Amino acid sequence: MFRLEEDGVAPINFMWHLVWDFRWDLFKGLLTAISVSIVALILSMVIGLIFALARMSRFKVFSIFASFYVNIFRGIPALVSVIWVYFGWSLLFGHNFTVFQAGVIALTLLYSSFFCEIFRSALQAIHKGQREAGLALGLTRGRIFRSVMLPQATKIAIPNIGSMYIGMIKDTSTFAIIGMVEVVRVTQNLNSTYFQPFVLYTAAAGLYVIIAFLVDFIFRNVELNFAYPPQGRIAKFLSRKKKKKIEELMKSTL
Amino acid sequence: MPASEVLMELSGVRKTFGTIEVLHGIDLQITKGSHAVIFGPSGSGKSTVLRCMNLLEEPDVGSIKFLGNEYGPGNGAKAEGKRGKPIELRRKVGMVFQQFNLFPHLSALDNLALPYRSVRGGSLSEAQERAAHELNKVGLLKFAANYPSQLSGGQQQRVAIARALSLDPELMLFDEPTSALDPELVGEVLAVMRDLAESGMTMVVVTHEMNFAREIGDLNIFMEAGNIVTTGGSDFFENCTNQRAKEFIGSVL
Repeated sequence: MFRLEEDGVAPINFMWHLVWDFRWDLFKGLLTAISVSIVALILSMVIGLIFALARMSRFKVFSIFASFYVNIFRGIPALVSVIWVYFGWSLLFGHNFTVFQAGVIALTLLYSSFFCEIFRSALQAIHKGQREAGLALGLTRGRIFRSVMLPQATKIAIPNIGSMYIGMIKDTSTFAIIGMVEVVRVTQNLNSTYFQPFVLYTAAAGLYVIIAFLVDFIFRNVELNFAYPPQGRIAKFLSRKKKKKIEELMKSTL
Repeated sequence: MPASEVLMELSGVRKTFGTIEVLHGIDLQITKGSHAVIFGPSGSGKSTVLRCMNLLEEPDVGSIKFLGNEYGPGNGAKAEGKRGKPIELRRKVGMVFQQFNLFPHLSALDNLALPYRSVRGGSLSEAQERAAHELNKVGLLKFAANYPSQLSGGQQQRVAIARALSLDPELMLFDEPTSALDPELVGEVLAVMRDLAESGMTMVVVTHEMNFAREIGDLNIFMEAGNIVTTGGSDFFENCTNQRAKEFIGSVL
């Protein structure tokens, strides 16, 4: 083994105070990452659900199209996707996208294909008796979907949505390449000034981990609120009102 | 109303799953106010007949007549009668499943109120009042706020019966309503069904509960291998002459 000093490199001095000094820059970067990923999350869920329905459609055209879409976009790395959108689409459409727009589009293209699969598996996991019960009661197909299938599928899908969102946040790190000032870009900028890769990238990694923990916590709570009967605080609070109404009804019926 | 008025008529109903024909031409008349009981060994097509009656299974051949409308592909080249939409039939035919099939994400009350409101329209409180009324009739009003997972199997099935009844059906179909229940819970469900039979509701019941069949059945139908082997009135269990049906009853009782 050799020691760095003997190679003529200055002894390592970890400047941990940099993390504190530039906390607001890192925090702003994090906020950018979160806002891009949240917008993309909402869009991906909506588009993913539409594709899930298309994929399960009786009409071959829809299901084949959806399955092509899923298999293509699931396979593209985020880095390639965002470069393709930011530089490629602007040529294609003759319109310059902002980095924020490009990031949202790139993430949505990729993750709507994942959400398609998540929603499809969730809808297919529902016991077929649920649909039959709805039909036997004379409910319309739309009503069965909205009031029977969707709420149950959402509950099944929630843990997967959570993990997908963590993936989305992490993929925003690749947007540094198109110049989005998110966590990695901030870190790169600081590092080019101070050359503290260990300190600065530890901080960046830490931020992603903290967010992952936070997302996990939030989605656990959402899941509890979607349990039947509801277990979470929000749902319990809402159902208290409902319960009161039912109690009044019980009194008036007896 | 004459006692012999036919409410539902199946003629020449055939059903094929893949390459296997499970119903080989079923002819059946359900008169208003009657209590038909279908029994027979598993795989004989009992449930399929029942599921054809509310078009959960569309027959491949044959027709189903109900309240002046005709459903199914018909027997000839073309069906002759006035055509009806399946949803209209289903709104007049209640069905109770072996697995209850309550909506797990809704309270017992909402399990009734949701279908009532989407079929009948009207306000939420109207639907809930009706739901409470129906739950009361099956003795479950105090569980109105409970979710299906908080109810026993017997209670769930009673909610399912109340749910079907809340839509004022002309005909009630029961697909082995007690087969998924613990033995001690069977009685409470049968009691509800007995009350319903006494109230004059037209019922078609697929069941293995021979004692119950003997009690309420005024049209007893023995099926085997996709055919109706023999039928009989309320004296069926005493005076049955068909050897195969006798064997089956003997082995189940």
